[in-house]
Amino acid sequence: MTPTPGLLEVDVLVIGAGMAGAMAALAARDAGATVAVASRAPGATALSSGAVGVAPDPTASPDEPLAWLRAPVEAARRLAARRPDHPYAAVGVAGLWRLGEALRFAARQLEPLLAPPLERPRLLATPAGNAVRAALCQRSMDAGDLLAVRGPLLVCGFAGHLAFDAALVAAGLARYTPRGGPEVGDAEVALPFDDPAARPHELARALEPPGAAERLGEALRIPAGALGAGAILLPPVLGLDPAARVPERIAAAAGMPVAETLSDVPSVPGLRLHAALEARLRVAGVARVTGEAAGAPAPGRAVEIGGTVVRAETWILASGRFVGGGIARRGALVEPALGLPVQAAEGREAGVHLARRPAASLTVRDRRAPQPLLSAGLRVDAALRPVDDRGRPVHPRLLAAGAVIGGHEQATDGSGLGVAILTGFLAGRAAARRGA
Amino acid sequence: MTFGAMAYLAYRAIVAHPLKRLLRQRGTGEARFRAAYETEGLAPTTEADRAIGLEAQACIACGLCETGCALAAADPAIRALGLHAAFRLYGRNPAELPLAAGALEACAGCTGCEALCPTGVPITRVVGALARRAHGARPGSPREPSPSPAARDP
Amino acid sequence: MDYDVVIVGGGVNGTGTARDCAMRGLRVLLLEKADFGVGASGNSSGMIHGGIRYMLSDRRVTALACRDSGAIQRIAPHLLFRIPFIMPFTSRRDGATLRERAAFYATEVYVGTYDRYQPLKSGKPSTRLRADELYRLEPGLRPGLHGAVTLDEWGIDPYRLCALNAVAARGYGATLRTWTEVRQVLADGGRVRGVRWRDVLTGEEGEALAPVVFNAAGAWSPALARASGVDVPMRPGKGVHLTLDRRYSSYGVILTAVDGRQMFLMPHGSESIIGTTDDDYYGDPDDLEATNDEIEYLLEGAASLVPGVRRARITRAWCGLRTTVRAWGRYEDALSREHQLLDGAPDGAAGLLSIVGGKLASYRAQAQEATDRIERLLGRPVTPCRTHEVPLPGGDAVPDPAALARELPVAPPVAAGIVHRHGSRARDVLALVRDDPRLGLVVCRDAGLLAAEVVYCCRHEEVRRLQDLRRRCRLAVGGCGGLDCARLGAQLAGRTLSWSADRIRAELADLLDAGWRERRPVLDGVQLAQEELLRAAHGLVEVA
Ligand SMILES: Cc1cc2nc3c(=O)[nH]c(=O)nc-3n(C[C@H](O)[C@H](O)[C@H](O)COP(=O)(O)OP(=O)(O)OC[C@H]3O[C@@H](n4cnc5c(N)ncnc54)[C@H](O)[C@@H]3O)c2cc1C
Ligand SMILES: Cc1cc2nc3c(=O)[nH]c(=O)nc-3n(C[C@H](O)[C@H](O)[C@H](O)COP(=O)(O)OP(=O)(O)OC[C@H]3O[C@@H](n4cnc5c(N)ncnc54)[C@H](O)[C@@H]3O)c2cc1C
Ligand code: SF4
Ligand code: SF4
Repeated sequence: MTPTPGLLEVDVLVIGAGMAGAMAALAARDAGATVAVASRAPGATALSSGAVGVAPDPTASPDEPLAWLRAPVEAARRLAARRPDHPYAAVGVAGLWRLGEALRFAARQLEPLLAPPLERPRLLATPAGNAVRAALCQRSMDAGDLLAVRGPLLVCGFAGHLAFDAALVAAGLARYTPRGGPEVGDAEVALPFDDPAARPHELARALEPPGAAERLGEALRIPAGALGAGAILLPPVLGLDPAARVPERIAAAAGMPVAETLSDVPSVPGLRLHAALEARLRVAGVARVTGEAAGAPAPGRAVEIGGTVVRAETWILASGRFVGGGIARRGALVEPALGLPVQAAEGREAGVHLARRPAASLTVRDRRAPQPLLSAGLRVDAALRPVDDRGRPVHPRLLAAGAVIGGHEQATDGSGLGVAILTGFLAGRAAARRGA
Repeated sequence: MTFGAMAYLAYRAIVAHPLKRLLRQRGTGEARFRAAYETEGLAPTTEADRAIGLEAQACIACGLCETGCALAAADPAIRALGLHAAFRLYGRNPAELPLAAGALEACAGCTGCEALCPTGVPITRVVGALARRAHGARPGSPREPSPSPAARDP
Repeated sequence: MDYDVVIVGGGVNGTGTARDCAMRGLRVLLLEKADFGVGASGNSSGMIHGGIRYMLSDRRVTALACRDSGAIQRIAPHLLFRIPFIMPFTSRRDGATLRERAAFYATEVYVGTYDRYQPLKSGKPSTRLRADELYRLEPGLRPGLHGAVTLDEWGIDPYRLCALNAVAARGYGATLRTWTEVRQVLADGGRVRGVRWRDVLTGEEGEALAPVVFNAAGAWSPALARASGVDVPMRPGKGVHLTLDRRYSSYGVILTAVDGRQMFLMPHGSESIIGTTDDDYYGDPDDLEATNDEIEYLLEGAASLVPGVRRARITRAWCGLRTTVRAWGRYEDALSREHQLLDGAPDGAAGLLSIVGGKLASYRAQAQEATDRIERLLGRPVTPCRTHEVPLPGGDAVPDPAALARELPVAPPVAAGIVHRHGSRARDVLALVRDDPRLGLVVCRDAGLLAAEVVYCCRHEEVRRLQDLRRRCRLAVGGCGGLDCARLGAQLAGRTLSWSADRIRAELADLLDAGWRERRPVLDGVQLAQEELLRAAHGLVEVA
């Protein structure tokens, strides 16, 4: 067969380039398959706080010592046991068993952005003064792990910038001190440049040029010395490009470990994660297509995306949830790219037929309670094949990964990037086996 | 309805209103309507304007586009608002659009932003259309952003 | 006695009456169990109309209403914006029958008659539009219409109207207490002598003594009066509105709902709203939420004339309770919404004055009448009312936003928002930025809200909870629901009001809760993606 001009023939086509799509592509590539990734734009991954949440521990009690925090993999097992709808349960015991391997794979692929995984979770601060657990984090955050800080932690804001309130963060973190967290203090230092209107990514860039990070580090010596601090926690703007080594340079000048908090939106760490994934895909030799897959046929058939015609025996749909655009509600819940059945759950009832329910009946009044509407998505079998209402795979060589799979609220249940990594990794490996 | 009110309205219908039409009204209804309201910025919303509004409404204020935007040269007060203000703050009330003319004009048409939007807002098209409208729809001013494919995501 | 009058309720009637009483030299205590405007007032359509409907029954009422609308324009010009309305002519079949044509003419005459009163409120004369003209002015209308007649009315920010009346009253010596619920009206031997209150935030309780208690508790007032043995006859009607993300058009359209009721789709501030339903409601007034049926009813009605609205982004659904004077059996809409002042004396509670019904648009006249009555109950001569002459805070001048932006460090569109909300006091708000450039921080890029305005409201406008800022300066009510502004607003309010870190987090959660209740029944399309982003950004992420 002579190759058609403009036709991209690969073993695996991945739709979506967030954490799930990128992991799927890299895992398949790593296993020897040829891969193309098509995506429209950044999604939830680029907006995330930048650290990988794997699982909340449903069995933890709110005031147990921090040192008792269970390993991420163990927490995920407990979660799967309690929530049969969760993707961790859907992949089965065998699938979940590979979570540790998937996390190590992700950390290796995203070297040097991510710090290697530990047996225990890391406990990282948010700009609202909460601590959340993460299985993986960026190196820029590592020194802020409340379980690793030796000596008091100085939370330091920037004078003239009201967006980060060091006193609020410090007071929030002080709640963890009785449970074994560090003593906390707060201060403000002047930035070596003056621009109160700067947006987070602009601040991050401004810290990159030679001298800037160093001057900030020098300035930190005074409040850090006053507190006798063991580490310093700064706003999440420590450089856009990890190669600029902003945290390391600040730390060298300050003479002690320096970290940034997690971020809310807009998220510089999220942007770093997005950039690192893109760079890694390039290096790994994955073909990149920019465009939207819409009304696509089935695996094995040619599909046109953004002007490129792609043919692949296996497809992995990793198009995210509502922010990514993988699932949408247009009067009813739909999966726009392939038209797959979307399932929702309401009370004990679950299924495709609920996709037409009004928004009011798929949500509950208590905002903090789990919201069925926001955890709607595809259902998959243990091989990650999307299934229809009767539980039968829609297509033997169509897989799904990441937030497009429902059963968890990617935004709030603390397992978003963890699910993306595990399901992406498993789908990629499985696809490579089929493709080969 | 009272008898008095009825009689009064009948009088209005048969005598006063026709007279008013004849003697006091100049121009068509449309002309009078426009004269009354367009001077206050209350102009009709064309289908084209509405289409732009529908595209702009997809903005979820995530800020991703700003990281690729060259508006940094703009006035600090405008920059502080960021790019997505174009879809949210400026674009929502046509009567106030002229106030945003300066900010909208600062767009260099480089399209650095467009590939970054998760919800697919056609950013340069929206900014261009709003800028033209802010300037009273004078054709050709300010410049039409020229999408350069080179600036897209690699 | 501590006060001359205790006013229960911080809606437009309570705050308006507080201002009038205080201006006339009475010692006033105003108690509101939540925040100014949270009841019917803030959840109304926010129209200051001239009472065109009363032309049938009593033209003097129309004249009065128009004159009062003019008065509100004089005292608070910055809060108002003009809304031109189009009333399209529809027919059952393709061509209009003779009868229908006669009805069109009758409408034209009717609205034309209203023109006589329009000058009282700076309204413009009505016009009759041919079909082709109609479609040029509003191309979004469905085909097959036979022209239209137009008129205009004024819109207002009702929350700020209440808050400014309260702040003005404070300026004349009134004591204001929000988040303070009146638990009981105290009475002795057939006369009221004050109230027992409870601060819902601190739990503090106390008594305030006064010979007159003015019950302006809206839909809650029957319950309050009943405890003193007084019957306040009232028929509560629930009204739901939908907010569209942006102005769908600069003109309002009068619609006919599926059941023949009149509805509208109209610009309001930078948004458009669709309203309203009207159904009897006898549930708990504190437990109001829009149902799916109500939302569909509104959308269906709007789409029947303006089909494109189905594609517009709906950001929230909100509801209020109309308090109509009770009259059984008639359809809700036909009920008179005129107000009534009820004296408790015949029921053995002399000194308890209750107000039922009334309109936002004529609040000033209602307040004047109530204040006259209060003075009489106090056994004093009735003194002149000046509420129509003296501007509300910031109402003495409306600065030009563009000029303001040249003078002070702020972008013109941001200045415009501040001027809308604060009038001449926009200068005071922006002076904060001049003195402390950090306060130039844009807290909400959706509505152009500055840190300075948050601080200003916290300092000067009776903010006790973070959610009060939803009503003072639209914190977290826009389409994005507080993505940028919620945490920032909480931090700023916390600093200004000396809240602890725990309190700041609790207030933040409460603010987000309030928005969620309005958005959840309308989550669809991009608004659902927005909600996901918002929830994620506010880290419901598990806390260790
Ligand atoms: C604000 C925010 C903060 C978060 N914080 C955390 C956190 O701290 N820790 C954590 O673990 N999780 C967090 N999450 C959750 C986590 O980010 C997501 O669950 C995860 O990133 C999902 O990854 P994904 O690859 O499945 O989807 P996404 O990252 O959304 O990627 C979807 C991709 O698919 C593409 N796409 C969609 N449809 C099509 C189509 N038809 N054609 C072509 N391409 C298409 C999109 O353009 C995008 O590239 C957060 C989420 C958000 C929104
Ligand atoms: C859907 C709808 C649309 C409307 N549209 C318009 C319009 O466009 N134009 C117009 O002119 N009018 C309109 N109205 C009518 C108008 O809003 C009301 O008539 C007016 O706001 C009534 O004001 P109020 O102060 O009496 O009541 P409310 O605003 O309800 O105030 C009562 C207040 O009392 C407080 N309160 C209750 N119990 C206690 C207690 N025990 N202790 C302390 N405080 C207490 C409540 O919290 C509340 O804030 C509309 C009404 C509705 C419902
Ligand atoms: S096209 Fe305009 S809005 Fe987009 S990045 Fe360039 S300057 Fe910014
Ligand atoms: S990237 Fe898109 S959604 Fe995000 S702020 Fe820009 S226009 Fe809005």
